[in-house]
Amino acid sequence: MKNKIKVFRAMHDLTQEDLAHAIGVTRQTILAIEKGKYVPSLDLAFKIARHFQVNIEEVFQYDEPYMSVDID
Amino acid sequence: MKKNSFYVLTGCIALVLLAVFWYSVEIHNPIPIEIVFVAGIAVIYFARRTVTDLIEDERSAKITEKAALRTFQVFWVLFCAFSIGAVMQILYIPTFPRDKFLDHPPEILGPRLMGYVQLGLLCLMIFLYVAFRIYYARKYGDWETDEE
Repeated sequence: MKNKIKVFRAMHDLTQEDLAHAIGVTRQTILAIEKGKYVPSLDLAFKIARHFQVNIEEVFQYDEPYMSVDID
Repeated sequence: MKKNSFYVLTGCIALVLLAVFWYSVEIHNPIPIEIVFVAGIAVIYFARRTVTDLIEDERSAKITEKAALRTFQVFWVLFCAFSIGAVMQILYIPTFPRDKFLDHPPEILGPRLMGYVQLGLLCLMIFLYVAFRIYYARKYGDWETDEE
């Protein structure tokens, strides 16, 4: 799961601490999400997206595993 | 209650428990430590609910959950293995003198040894839990550093 939290934080001039405080998690959680160490729950992902007033897909991108398709 | 006050309170309770434990040993009565232990844990649980600083979110809850589950998975196997061994000893399997066993049950695993084994297993469980916690905390980015 990729995300653009860092980009959105920069756009809104927010520190990790500010964002963490605003959505009710610890700064370490924001850092872990940004670094891809932790995949947030749907609830938390929506909270983050809502905080930046964008759709969830704009913040989080699901890495589709490569699937081979047989073409006849 | 602030987070640091909670930690101080927990430390104080641990010291009280230690003192009562030795008092119980002195008077050869396990009741005081058993009562104080349950009361101490209850106080810690209630105090934790009054902490106003944020100390837990979904990531830390997941770390706790995973560590507890893995500890349980290891612990029940060890506990079952020990229990099976203990039952076999009690029954004298495979040299099983059935006629004598019923009249004079062997006392290989006395209450004292059982207590030591229980304490040992409990300590093992605590160490296992701490180890799993560290592992999952690391996995979920607890010690990640950032440029900020």
